[in-house]
Amino acid sequence: MPSIQSTLGDEEEEGIAEELAESQRQISIAEFFEKNKHMLGFDSGARGLVTAVKEAVDNALDATEEAGIKPDIYIEIDDVGDYYTLVVEDNGPGITKEQVPKVFGKLLYGSRFHAREQSRGQQGIGISAAVLYSQLTSGKPAKITSRTKGSADAEYFELVIDTDDNEPEIRHSETTSWDRTHGTRIELEMEANMRARSQLLQYIKHTAVVNPHARITFKEPSMDEAEQFERAERADLPAETEEIRPHPHGVELGTLLKMLAATDSHSVSGFVQSEFTRVGKKTADSILDEFRDRHFGREAAWKPPGNHEKSNLARAVAGAVANKGKDATAAFGDEVADKVCSRNRVAHSELVDIVAETADEVGEDHDTTFGDTVQENAVEAAWAELTAERTSDLYGLVDKATSTRKDDEAINGLAERLAKRFEKGRERDRATHAELVEYVDRAADQTEEYDDATFGDTARENVVMEVWATLVTVPDEVPKVRAFVDDRDVASDLLEAMKETDIIAPPTNCLSPITDELVEAGLKKEYEADFYAASTRDADVHGGDPFIVEAGIAYGGDLEAEGQADVLRFANRVPLVYQRGACATTDVVKSIGWRNYNLDQPGGSGIPNGPAVIMVHVASTNVPFTSESKDAVANVPEIEDEIELAIREAARELKSYLNKRKSMQKRKKKQNVIASILPKMAEKLADVTGEGEPEYGDAMARIMNNVLVEREVEDGEVRLVVENHTSTNESVELTDIVSREPTNLSDGATAVDMDGEWFVKWSPTVDSGDEAVLEYEVDGEASFDVSVEGIEDAKLTTNTES
Amino acid sequence: MSADNEAEAQEKLIDLAANFYDQFQRGEIPEMSVPTRTKSNIVFDEDENVWVYGERESTRSANSVRGARKLLKAVYTIDFLEEQLEQDRSSTLRELYYLSESWDVDEAQFTSQDESNQLVEDLEIVSEVTREDFHMRPEESGAKVMGPLLIREQTNRGDREIHCQDDVGQGGYQIPNNVDTIEFLDNDADFVMCVETGGMRDRLVENGFDDEFDCIVVHLGGQPARATRRLTKRLHDELDLPVTVFTDGDPWSYRIFGSVSYGSIKSAHLSEYLATPEAEFIGIQPEDIVEYDLPTDPLSDSDVNALESELEDPRFQTDYWEEQIEIQLDIEKKSEQQSLASHGLDFVTETYLPERLDEMGVL
Repeated sequence: MPSIQSTLGDEEEEGIAEELAESQRQISIAEFFEKNKHMLGFDSGARGLVTAVKEAVDNALDATEEAGIKPDIYIEIDDVGDYYTLVVEDNGPGITKEQVPKVFGKLLYGSRFHAREQSRGQQGIGISAAVLYSQLTSGKPAKITSRTKGSADAEYFELVIDTDDNEPEIRHSETTSWDRTHGTRIELEMEANMRARSQLLQYIKHTAVVNPHARITFKEPSMDEAEQFERAERADLPAETEEIRPHPHGVELGTLLKMLAATDSHSVSGFVQSEFTRVGKKTADSILDEFRDRHFGREAAWKPPGNHEKSNLARAVAGAVANKGKDATAAFGDEVADKVCSRNRVAHSELVDIVAETADEVGEDHDTTFGDTVQENAVEAAWAELTAERTSDLYGLVDKATSTRKDDEAINGLAERLAKRFEKGRERDRATHAELVEYVDRAADQTEEYDDATFGDTARENVVMEVWATLVTVPDEVPKVRAFVDDRDVASDLLEAMKETDIIAPPTNCLSPITDELVEAGLKKEYEADFYAASTRDADVHGGDPFIVEAGIAYGGDLEAEGQADVLRFANRVPLVYQRGACATTDVVKSIGWRNYNLDQPGGSGIPNGPAVIMVHVASTNVPFTSESKDAVANVPEIEDEIELAIREAARELKSYLNKRKSMQKRKKKQNVIASILPKMAEKLADVTGEGEPEYGDAMARIMNNVLVEREVEDGEVRLVVENHTSTNESVELTDIVSREPTNLSDGATAVDMDGEWFVKWSPTVDSGDEAVLEYEVDGEASFDVSVEGIEDAKLTTNTES
Repeated sequence: MSADNEAEAQEKLIDLAANFYDQFQRGEIPEMSVPTRTKSNIVFDEDENVWVYGERESTRSANSVRGARKLLKAVYTIDFLEEQLEQDRSSTLRELYYLSESWDVDEAQFTSQDESNQLVEDLEIVSEVTREDFHMRPEESGAKVMGPLLIREQTNRGDREIHCQDDVGQGGYQIPNNVDTIEFLDNDADFVMCVETGGMRDRLVENGFDDEFDCIVVHLGGQPARATRRLTKRLHDELDLPVTVFTDGDPWSYRIFGSVSYGSIKSAHLSEYLATPEAEFIGIQPEDIVEYDLPTDPLSDSDVNALESELEDPRFQTDYWEEQIEIQLDIEKKSEQQSLASHGLDFVTETYLPERLDEMGVL
């Protein structure tokens, strides 16, 4: 069943989706449509028709492919006086009455909310918009005929959308007969015109190129009979794609909020692991740490006092303990001081751990208990000691981060003020990165003001970086999902945390490239050219979305030689018709130096000239477009790079083809000149020597580095000699059609009787400079007609008139 | 004219054509090989004492468009020459160039006179027939001879006996293009002197030098034409006269001496026939410039280059020339023959030449 009718739920359509939902509460859907039709591709009668065709054809292709059927699609546009009718038929599995409204009717029906899979549906607002457009302009219902596989009859429905509540409604249904055994037909009547005929034809032709597995029949009012776009041989259905969960790097805040609301997970760790692709326990932990840094901020970790001051710390801790006995108290103070001083830096949370651990150990040794209150007091006392010298600690960091030319006073000033910020700041010296930036900025500003120093942006950034690196992630439990499901700020912290975490690229089995082979087949069947090349790149990722770029080039033949090459743009197998100039594809084609590939490119940039078609297909779970109308691929660097590489791959083949053709032309020219000279030379030699004209054919063949095929017939014995004067081995396929039965054929040759003529077939491989001989006998007068394959004509000389 | 030569020339031309014909018949690509005509491909022939072409060859093959065109032109030229001999007519190299325009095949026509001249040289080499025997004349008429010599020349108007002092005007006897039409009848000469410039020749004649010293004065007129060189060679070989060469004192003039004495690069295939290895150089020698205190011009850059290139020229690699060239490079000066007039108009005939000729043992 066609399931892509509306994909408004997709992330990047979220903008409109939300807007639409919002609008629906205030205005009727008809009004909304009227207001936004430019966005939806229905801004004029001409464009509306193109969009309706696009939507219906996309729908039909998806419906058949999903059912594993090779598409056979019929499109007809008729001028029926005041209106145009559009008929699109497919050979899909057909749909039941219950499905009809869902499929064709409801404008916002979207089952693919955050589905990550390559699909055409991303391309537009859906067939329902076309239904609505036809209804609004002609007042006629959509007429739908469908026959499911195996059923004896077809069903006929008339469908309208109630514009007050945006509900589809079947006005009329009946059983009918239809010559297709299964499939769906939709007929829409609408206000339209054919001013966009060329775009329409282009769209159909390009669709045929990019869907070589589909047969498309198209008829519009100016055509006498329908045009048939045949399916390419051996073109199978595209590989089935697998839906993947979104990648953490590819979601936006709105989506994340919706996912948070919808998830069954309680913990953030569970949430990221179950809702996203490529997130396991380890990655989840990294995300959580990043999340903590953003949500709670980090804790400053200070340098412990030097060894000579260790006793002060021990005394201070001991002094905070009461009633635990002298020995135990002293041991506790000493042990805490030892543990603290053995570390490089100690943060508050670390201090708490140290104190708790020491309390256990010393308590056990001395058979006493250091309770919570005692521990808290001890921590407080030790923390006071640790934070007493913030300034000197920060001095070291600031000094390290700034240039050596800063004088001591300025560095000290900054360190002092920064220390003050921490002191006055959040408890336990916590700060988020943003807060730290603010601390440094304020401290630097003041230092500039009072100490007559300068701290530029770079110096400030360096200080922030240096200090941030000494801060440690807090051990606090992150909030549960339900606690911030409505909190945009916290969700935003999580989103940022996900983006900052290194996560491997998403899997690519959600993509279904056309494959280079079929790109070439598609071009071949729609363009009569001399040369075709295609390339399919490996998958890459932009944002969180995997994508694959494919390119194809056709050259020569019947292609228009005058003017610029045609650039065919596709996204997810759908041709892009409008906004050529705004598309990344066009930009890349223009930026390539086509002269390197032997194409004419005036000025060395821009679309090349000549008889060429350049096609580019971008397949992705989320093709980034420049606008909602989805006519142009946005300039995303990763995608542009891949487009360029794909085109260059195909262009390299074009270059070698053109080089070869050039050398063949040169050769041809040489041959023409020499072929005109030698006979004259021979003629003149006959004059001078007074003899008959010499036989120059063999010499000619040698000069041309040719393969020479010669026939000698004597008394019913036929010899066909293949002389190879080229520098490489040549394999030739030789067919001699003989009017009498040949006998005694030499090795490797066969003769087949075809209505009184004998086809002698022989396929020798002749080494460079060597010759091969075919011999046979005929009884009496016979006529011969030899044809030679496997060698370019320019390299072949046949001299077989007997 | 010797009918033998003509018949032989004709035959050789036809042989050449037949060779191409046979190559075609054998299924081979027609080709023609000629020695490479460059300075690096001449070698000294010890037997003949002349410089001839070495072993390097260039092949003109119908395998390429250029080669095919060359061979087509060659065949047309052979046809033309053969016809010309048949009709006992002659033409100039330039006429051949223009005549090719009348050929029915565009590809056979010459695009420049260099091309047609070169082709005739090729044919000379390959057929071993001189172009004189093809009845091809160069443009410039041969130079002039004055001296005590009686000859018989075959002309179109019959044989003429001419004495090169008594029967000629002040200009002397005009050397015909084909020197082999001349027969030497009698002479009173002691030696031959080839003179580069017309001015000096006229001076010698006016001063009666030929009479006084029994000298055959041959005017070279710059680079000597083949006829002039051939005549000089015959005067030496047949009349057993010593040959001397009197030129300006600059590198270009030494080359004139070189072509009289050793043969030219372009016609090294004819060295045996044209060169007079026994010829001796009178001057102006660089050492004369110093000795006679002659008026001079400074050497130009191209003079210096030419001198240096002569040092590398196998024809000039003798002790004598190396010494002279080194002197000249050292003094950075050059002098003309006529600069001798700085010591008076008779100085050359009364002092310089007698002294030099005496030194050389000619007198």
